[in-house]
Amino acid sequence: MTVTHSAPAAPPADGGAVILQASGVIMRFGGLTAVNSVDLTVREGEIVGLIGPNGAGKTTFFNCLTGLYKPTEGQVIFNGAVLPPKPRAVVLAGMARTFQNIRLFNNMTALENVMVGRYCRTSSMALTSIFRGPKFRREEAATRARAQELLDYVGLGRSSELLARNLPYGDQRRLEIARALATDPKVLLLDEPTAGMNPQETRQASDLIFKIRDSGIAVVVIEHDMRFIFNLCDRVLCLVRGETLVEGSPTQVQSDPRVIEAYIGTGDDDEDEGAST
Amino acid sequence: MSTVSTPTQIAPTPGYHPSRIDGLREQHGRLAWLLVLTGLVVLAAGCFLSWSYDPEILGNLSISFNPGSLQLFMLTAAVLALVYALAYRGPLRGLGVWIDSAKALMVLGIGALGFMAITLAVVAVTSSGLINIDPGGWVSLVGSLVLAVGGSLLERRPTKDTLHAQLPAWVEIGTIVVLMAMLLFGAAYALGQTDGNIFGLFLVFVVAVAWSLFAAGFFTWLGIVAQRHRRVLMLGAFAVAFLFPFTQNGSDANMSIATQVLIFAATALGLNIVVGLAGLLDLGYIAFLGAGAYTAATLSTSAFATIGWKPPFLVVVLLGAIVAATLGLIIGTPTLRVSGDYLAIVTLAFGEIFRLSMSNLDGNNGPDLTHGPNGIPAIPDLQIGSFNFGDEHTILGFSLGRFANYYFVLLVLALVIITVFSRLNNSRIGRGWVAIREDEKAAEAMGVNVFGLKLFAFASGAFLAGMAGTVKAHQDVSVTPDQYVFLESAFLLAAVVLGGMGTVAGVFIGATILKLLPEKLRFISDYRLLIFGVLLVLMMRVRPEGIIASQRRQLEFHEEDEALAERIEEVHLEEEAQT
Amino acid sequence: MLFLQQLINGLTSGSLYALIAVGYTVVYGIVQLINFAHGEVFMIGAFGSLAVWTIFFQGQTSILILIPMLLGAVAASVGVAVLMERFAYRPLRHAPRLAPLITAIGVSVSLQEIVRLFYPGAKSPLPYPQIDYVSGTALQLGDITLRRSAIFTVGALVVSAVFLWWFINRTKLGRGMQAVSQDPDTARLMGINVDRVIVVAFALGALLAGIAGVAQGLQTNSISQIMGFTAGLKAFTAAVLGGIGNVAGAVVGGLVLGVAESLATQFIPGAFGGTPWKDVWAFVLLIVVLVFRPQGLLGARVVDRA
Repeated sequence: MTVTHSAPAAPPADGGAVILQASGVIMRFGGLTAVNSVDLTVREGEIVGLIGPNGAGKTTFFNCLTGLYKPTEGQVIFNGAVLPPKPRAVVLAGMARTFQNIRLFNNMTALENVMVGRYCRTSSMALTSIFRGPKFRREEAATRARAQELLDYVGLGRSSELLARNLPYGDQRRLEIARALATDPKVLLLDEPTAGMNPQETRQASDLIFKIRDSGIAVVVIEHDMRFIFNLCDRVLCLVRGETLVEGSPTQVQSDPRVIEAYIGTGDDDEDEGAST
Repeated sequence: MSTVSTPTQIAPTPGYHPSRIDGLREQHGRLAWLLVLTGLVVLAAGCFLSWSYDPEILGNLSISFNPGSLQLFMLTAAVLALVYALAYRGPLRGLGVWIDSAKALMVLGIGALGFMAITLAVVAVTSSGLINIDPGGWVSLVGSLVLAVGGSLLERRPTKDTLHAQLPAWVEIGTIVVLMAMLLFGAAYALGQTDGNIFGLFLVFVVAVAWSLFAAGFFTWLGIVAQRHRRVLMLGAFAVAFLFPFTQNGSDANMSIATQVLIFAATALGLNIVVGLAGLLDLGYIAFLGAGAYTAATLSTSAFATIGWKPPFLVVVLLGAIVAATLGLIIGTPTLRVSGDYLAIVTLAFGEIFRLSMSNLDGNNGPDLTHGPNGIPAIPDLQIGSFNFGDEHTILGFSLGRFANYYFVLLVLALVIITVFSRLNNSRIGRGWVAIREDEKAAEAMGVNVFGLKLFAFASGAFLAGMAGTVKAHQDVSVTPDQYVFLESAFLLAAVVLGGMGTVAGVFIGATILKLLPEKLRFISDYRLLIFGVLLVLMMRVRPEGIIASQRRQLEFHEEDEALAERIEEVHLEEEAQT
Repeated sequence: MLFLQQLINGLTSGSLYALIAVGYTVVYGIVQLINFAHGEVFMIGAFGSLAVWTIFFQGQTSILILIPMLLGAVAASVGVAVLMERFAYRPLRHAPRLAPLITAIGVSVSLQEIVRLFYPGAKSPLPYPQIDYVSGTALQLGDITLRRSAIFTVGALVVSAVFLWWFINRTKLGRGMQAVSQDPDTARLMGINVDRVIVVAFALGALLAGIAGVAQGLQTNSISQIMGFTAGLKAFTAAVLGGIGNVAGAVVGGLVLGVAESLATQFIPGAFGGTPWKDVWAFVLLIVVLVFRPQGLLGARVVDRA
């Protein structure tokens, strides 16, 4: 049951350069303020956790970061430049994500799914595609090879020709990660990567996330599984009702009485933990 | 219960439900087989006798021991039945383990019974009385009935999946070639029939045979073979299409229909890029064809053309395509951002705007560009170098008339469109389209340029339709606004939907059905649109992916169907293993 | 004066659009389906009323006949709409969105053809009966011509709008409709019979379309099986203009569209004004609205259906 990992590489204590900086992000839907001036800083090679009870605005915050929502206020600076709130621009800049409820292209094979991820890093347009010039063939082969490589990387190398919708649940989560990795991100945003997984799958997932981190990609994870997150992350941010409650190292956050109260306290949303889809 | 690991394992036929008839089948298995044999022999025997007293009906069916064409159909059916029967029990058992011969026999029997019943009914009605049916007709009718009963009572056996059938490549290629040749002669024969009854009965025969082959599992195998020898298939299909005019002895009547079918199919193929690949419902597609046609007409040397500039035809083709594509961009840019349903109606409105504008620009309401409702008549035939498309030419002793000339141009155009279609489909752009169809939000979040790809599909579809339109203007001689009404767009869409979204062969079949049948079956002409409407509704309920479905489309329309997904995956893996 | 006259003309045709547009909007609000065949429901309504007149009241002109004619129109259009929902759309409720749209085209063509082939004499346009007080010579108010059928049409819209408001806000079924349009799954859990609500939505739209069919017959004095196509397209434009899914929007959209196209006919100078371009300007308006205000004038419920 316990999530163990052989000696996670020591976090670069404030060592890496800041890659992602969101400041004062506010998202209002009519009268409801779902995210209220949240700041987030992510450094290279870091794993940052985002926790909070259901409805705390974690996924909304993710959507603001990735341009699916246009934040009411605040800005997102990526690699020194302000990110426009457009999903495509965000991906091109180097930030990719997965979804809380898996959103694969169900009727495509695993390989094709990952190849779609390569879309924004390739450039064959209509005429090249129609005339099948050397550039097209080179790029197509490279795309295929890279996609297969990524499937191997996440451990799905042998499932490349299977339809995404036929894959087991855990594999679908990993496929989504592979698809996101195909966009060559510098920061990877994972929205509940272990939701609905059994302990063994959860451990594989954390191994995979460490592996991704070690390859130089910063990771931001939304999770409900506390043990998972405290074992995994270098830094944890706890959101409650759209606002940052605590930010700090896993041990700090874990022992903060306000966090315990937010989760176990008076609210009625403690029963839903981990069961959310 | 996957059969991937054990390819030789025998799986029960999918969709197999035991019922009361199975009890009967078990008890009378042997008897049923004998019934089948008896039935087919009687059916064949009847074909050598006279069916009709009157030699004028349905070709000549009145001479014994000299079968007429309808009798030859039934003889063919009997031979096919014999093959099935011997595959079920007898020297062809080796074939029998692969095909569901019992079901095939039942279907063929019922088809033959239907054929005989219609034939005899036609004889009786046209010659006023059952008395005019000769004994041979009754013999064959009884034979087909016995065949149908015997086939129904045969015990169904599980079959091996034809997916794993390993045949030498020459057999597979040979099958394709033979089928293509049959297609050529079948088409030539069918078009040569001036008698609507014979044409209809020929269709009944073809459907019965095709259905029995389908029941036998032949088409599943054929689909896999076609995948494996895609080049051969393409070449074969093109050869058939190319050779077709040579079978017509310069007859313009049939070539005119063939040209109509071809231009319709070419346009529908363009629409298939928009609908089938990008998943955008365009209900005003005919306007792009119209834009091309009007461009060609106004730039032609017709006395009624309104623009003085007369560029060479290749320039006109390009211009027509560009005009259409520009219209596509103008209409697409604002509307492709809104949801799909809106797009459908907006394109419909655009189609109306186009048609109304063309019939308004007559000099009284705005500049005189199109001569209003009268359109631009007397567009001369194409002339490329010294080759005039209006003249009859003789090649290798075959005379090719005006329509044959256009037919070849359209064939080239269709080939261009097919190439564009299939190459785009298998490329980065094609993957992007599939991703958009599957989940637009996710595609966008993965960096797919959703808007750009949609606009591209829309504009390139318009471009290709514009090209087709320029040829259409010359071939039709005149261009009028009422050629471009909404119903034509609906027909194009129907060709795509009936045939199969996202496939080339499907669109050709859809286009042929929609254009050829009303031409040949004059007696349904008044009910043509009603049949068309009902067909669309039924198709969406029964087989929304179309007659020849692209695998992906089939999956999309059957999200719940796990068995289908696994089956397609299996086919996919088998293909990977082959290459 | 010219302006006032065109305003009246616009309100007349606008009322007709509004009556039909409600059908698009109610159905869309509940099942997010553009019932493309709704124009045909309107056409069937016109033929239903004509049938009642031909069978029972041939040759009569009394205004009282209008009541059975309206009932006939409504019966025909509601009947067709309910059958259409049951046999064409319901089986496709969970199919990809292309399927119901294509079905709708099929239904539309079939209905037109059924009327053309099987309604006696419908192969050419049929004359519509003259009814006392609501058709016949126009009223002259100074310079302004007011057609009697126009008064009927506007009146029908007013009555229908009041009825609609009452039905949606004051009856159990109407509130059920609102609930289903907000969230069908929750509504189902709360014990609302979603299937019934959907049927009611189709029927409600058809009711108004049937009335519109009578109004159209009185206005043009003849009906044909193709009258539903353009009217349906215009009404859809009206629904989008007002914000599809928003019932009040459909009424407003219809009136605005009607007025806009009559003013365009009158006041666009030069060759591009005039009646031949009327429909063109209406459809251009549709496209312009979609570009600049896709949610429509009154705003539609925005549904993230991804």
